[in-house]
Amino acid sequence: MISKNKLAILVAGVCMLLFGCYPQGPEFTEDLDVVLTHFQDDYDFESKNTYARPNAIVKITGNLQEGDDPEFIPDAAAALILAQIDKNMEALGWDKVDVSANPDVLLAVASWETTTIFYYYDYWYWWYGGYYPGWGYPAYGGSYTTGTLFMTMIDPEEVGANGNAILQWTGGVNGILTGSYDATRVNKGIDQAFSQSPYLKIN
Amino acid sequence: MKKIFIILLVAAASSTTYAQSLTALQYSMGFGTGDLSDFIGKPSFRGFTIDYRNLVQPNVGVGFDLGWHAFYEAKASDVYTIGNLSYSGKQYRYNNQFPLLFAADYYMQPGESVNPFVGFGVGTMYSLRNTDMGQYSLKEDAWNFAIRPEVGILYEANPGMSFMVTGKYYYGFEAGDLPAQGYFTLNFGFVFTK
Repeated sequence: MISKNKLAILVAGVCMLLFGCYPQGPEFTEDLDVVLTHFQDDYDFESKNTYARPNAIVKITGNLQEGDDPEFIPDAAAALILAQIDKNMEALGWDKVDVSANPDVLLAVASWETTTIFYYYDYWYWWYGGYYPGWGYPAYGGSYTTGTLFMTMIDPEEVGANGNAILQWTGGVNGILTGSYDATRVNKGIDQAFSQSPYLKIN
Repeated sequence: MKKIFIILLVAAASSTTYAQSLTALQYSMGFGTGDLSDFIGKPSFRGFTIDYRNLVQPNVGVGFDLGWHAFYEAKASDVYTIGNLSYSGKQYRYNNQFPLLFAADYYMQPGESVNPFVGFGVGTMYSLRNTDMGQYSLKEDAWNFAIRPEVGILYEANPGMSFMVTGKYYYGFEAGDLPAQGYFTLNFGFVFTK
C-alpha cells in the first residue's frame, strides 16, 4: 500500500522529469531563418529578359512621405548582398541593365529591422502593477533584433488599380540578426529565395 | 457512445460494493497514426498515464485514465507551398495529447499473480499542436471526443504492489482545428492496490 502523499510525490517527480526533458526546439540562430517568396501567377516572367536595380539597399525606417531622409545599409554589406542577387538572376537567364535602358523589370532591395524587447518579469505585473506601484517596474530582460531582406520585382509597365506598382515577385529572407554580418547565412537565404522560385527561370 | 458513457458512470457510482482499488502510474511511449503520424513521424518517448480503477466486481474495475503524451519532431529545412506562396526553413513540430477518460477494465484472472485484462475508455482528449518556424508559431487545438481500447497484464510482485504492461490506442474524433488524432501507446509502470 502507498500513502497518498508518497503517490503525489512520485507523480510530481515523474512529471518534473518528463517536463524537464521537454524538447526545446532550435539551438542556433540560423535555425530560425525563414525564406518566403510570392509571385503573381498571371504574370509572364518568361517573356522578360532584362532587369535593373539600385546600387544601394534602403532601410525601411521612418516615413519618407513626411520628409524623413532614407537610410541605407553599409555599402560593403550591400555590395555583397547585391552581388549574390545578381549571381542568381544571371543563372536564371536575366540580363542586368541600367535603369535608363528601359528594363523589363525593376528589382528593388530593402531591409527592415525590428527590435523586440522582452522581460523576465513576473507576467502578472499587468494586473497588480497598478494597485501596488511601490513594487517597482518590471526588470529588463534583453532584446533581439530581427532582420528581413526584401527583394521585390515590379514591371514599370504594369500598375495596379490603386495606381501603385504590382509586386510581381517578392522574396523575403528573415532571421535574427547577430552582431556581425554573416555573409554565408545571408547568401544562403538569397540562394534559397531564388531556388524556390523556379518560375523566374527564363533561359 | 452515449450508452457506454452512461454505463461507465453507473458502474462508477455503484463502486462501493467492493473496497479494492488500483492506482497505476505508467511511463508511456506513443506511436502516432493517421494525421498525427503525417505531422510527426517520430514516436514519443515523453509521456505518462495515471489510471485509477475501483473494483466493482473482482473482475471489473471502473475509474479514470489521465495522461500526457508529447510528440516532437524537428524537421529538416524544407519548402512548403500554398498556392503561389512558398516559405522555407526548419519547422519544429509539437503535438501534445492530454486524454481524460472514464475507463473500465475486465480482468481475466482475478486473484492470480498474472492477470491479463482488456479495457475500454471514453471521454475527451485535449490535442494541442504547435508548428514553430522562424520566430512564428502556429497553434491549433481541439477537445476531441475520444475512445480508447486497451489490453494489458497485471503482475503482482507483492501484496499491494504490482507491475503493469499495457497497450492502448487513443482515438480522438475530428474537432476544433484538427482532424481525428490517433496513436498507440506502450506503457509500463507500478500499480498500487488497496
